Amino acid sequence: MRDALRIVVAVITALIIVGIAAAVASVFGSGIGGGGNSRTLKPATTSSPTYVKMGGATFPAPQYLAWIKSFMREHPSIRVSYELLGSGAGVSRFFDGTLDVAGSDPPLPHDVWVKHEGKVMQVPTLVGAVVVTYNIPGLNHVTLNLSGKVLALIYKGVIKYWDDPRIQELNPAVKLPHHEIFVVFRADASGTQLIFTTFLHKAAPSTWPSTLVGKAPAFPVAGSGRAAGGKGNPGVANLVMSNPYSIGFVEWSYALENNMSIAAIENAAGNFVKPSTESLISAARSAAKHLPRTPLGDFSKDEEYIIYPGGKDAYPLVAWTHLVIRVNYESQAKARAVAALLKWIAEKGELNIIPGYAPVPENVRQLMVEAANNILHAAGS
Amino acid sequence: MTLLAPSALVIAFYVLLVRLLAGYSIPVFRRYGASFVLSSVWNPGSASYGILPALMGTAVTSVLAAAIALPVSLSMVVFLNEYCPSIVARVVASVTTVMGGLPSIVYGLWGALVLPELLRSYVMVPLHKYLGFLPPFSCAPVSGWTFFTAGVLLAIMITPYMFSLVHEAYASVPRKYREALLAISARPYVIAREFIKMLWPAVIGALLLGLGRAAGETIAVSLVVGNVNAVPYCLFLPGQTISSLIANNFPEASSYPLMLNALYAAASVLLVVGMVLNIAGLALMSRWRSITG
Repeated sequence: MRDALRIVVAVITALIIVGIAAAVASVFGSGIGGGGNSRTLKPATTSSPTYVKMGGATFPAPQYLAWIKSFMREHPSIRVSYELLGSGAGVSRFFDGTLDVAGSDPPLPHDVWVKHEGKVMQVPTLVGAVVVTYNIPGLNHVTLNLSGKVLALIYKGVIKYWDDPRIQELNPAVKLPHHEIFVVFRADASGTQLIFTTFLHKAAPSTWPSTLVGKAPAFPVAGSGRAAGGKGNPGVANLVMSNPYSIGFVEWSYALENNMSIAAIENAAGNFVKPSTESLISAARSAAKHLPRTPLGDFSKDEEYIIYPGGKDAYPLVAWTHLVIRVNYESQAKARAVAALLKWIAEKGELNIIPGYAPVPENVRQLMVEAANNILHAAGS
Repeated sequence: MTLLAPSALVIAFYVLLVRLLAGYSIPVFRRYGASFVLSSVWNPGSASYGILPALMGTAVTSVLAAAIALPVSLSMVVFLNEYCPSIVARVVASVTTVMGGLPSIVYGLWGALVLPELLRSYVMVPLHKYLGFLPPFSCAPVSGWTFFTAGVLLAIMITPYMFSLVHEAYASVPRKYREALLAISARPYVIAREFIKMLWPAVIGALLLGLGRAAGETIAVSLVVGNVNAVPYCLFLPGQTISSLIANNFPEASSYPLMLNALYAAASVLLVVGMVLNIAGLALMSRWRSITG
């Protein structure tokens, strides 16, 4: 009797806890995301489908997943999956053969490209933006103007209060509170952080030296006790939304999804610009002239020209995100599948962009078509 | 002979583990030496790797977790065994034992959602106000994402496990001791005190295992600790632990030369600290056993 009672209690408890865990996991799975999430639909046809394994950057992932869904509807014999791994992990797995196509926010570094010259291609597929977001009680839907120099001083810990004269002078119409700024950055090494720190360096080189540029820089404000690192974009968004008087940077799509305040940033022409499809395209157009003419070229410097570009309407915190592709695929079927995907993105994908991203300019779409042709040519079709 | 195989397999596994860790870590120790463990500078861009803040963070959060979990689990064991009506006690003990066997990440995720703001307003601010003269509480809590929150979260995660270990030991004390104590009309409090004294090795064992679990938690901690490379001279500061450092940096470790090696080296340091603690604990337990006979 005693044992039966014990068993019954244990089973009921286990069921309750599994139920709670599943509920918590589903809430968190959609929020925190990242780290090995993969989505594949089951094949609908009886003949064996071709599988294309993609993975990498989380920055463009919402757009890629939307594209993949539409592409697979039109091409039922091709199954594409995209794993959220991070740019670094995506590129490593591409080179060790686990992935067919890698998504990477930064282009391949020069030395890596040289090592694989002629065997690897890169195409910029999207223009994304990093936004500066803040949470100031009472001012959350007022647009603040911020400049690279002021942001550099905030992230250095030099500007400590919201009503510092250097911030106030950029926002004469807004009464800023006298409260310490809680500074949020990324806990993990990330492409978004690289874009943000590259921007700080280009906008204020004497304040933000190149030693502080990188995926995981040592932010000087970190030691002050009023800074924290969030895990991934959702982590930063969560920290900013939970801590009043905080400032942070996230991808534009996350800020839109969570209805967060977005600052207007001073661009190279001196105008304060908020991100919009137009301001992103304007930045992309002026940077496109510095891209290589062929997908086989060296893209390693392309972020330098698109971050803090010229153009009076350009939003300064913009970046390309790339797909890294092989020239030679092991089977004709795979080569044809990858080529079809690239052509689809160039022709249809770029016309259907979800909020938070902008399409690449026309001349850049040509790179995708050229890459597709190179793959087909190498496969002999 | 076939019984030798599983033991040999386990030993082989540990040897391979140590070899892998050593293989990756040695370049870092060769290059940085003791400064790897003593330096506070973690700047991958300039190839400076120092894990002192992370190591101190692991120590502080694990010790805080054990300091909270041990009294709570011991009190729970005593209450359920001596004061609670037996039906309720059996149900609660069974439920908690089952909870102790669950992956603690389940509690970690819940805690990450709920704890930071709650702890800050209701615990950290009063502690700083009234006990601010004590060094661990001396800094004003700006946000809820701190070492303190991580310590409390870890305590929540290890308490059911520690409870189940001590409870089992408590329940296995031979009936004759209880009968002897009852014969001299000992109050429940006295019975509990005598039993705990007898069980001290088990309590230490539970403490060490709980500490080990706390030191190894990664994702749950990284969600609440603040992820900032800061030395924990005060509990209300954001910081990090070695596990959260590794979890945060591992995916992109290939972007920096030596970063992967540095992370493996940090894991090796954690392994060594854990081994030292466990050996000390086992030595303590065997000494107690020889004293109590």
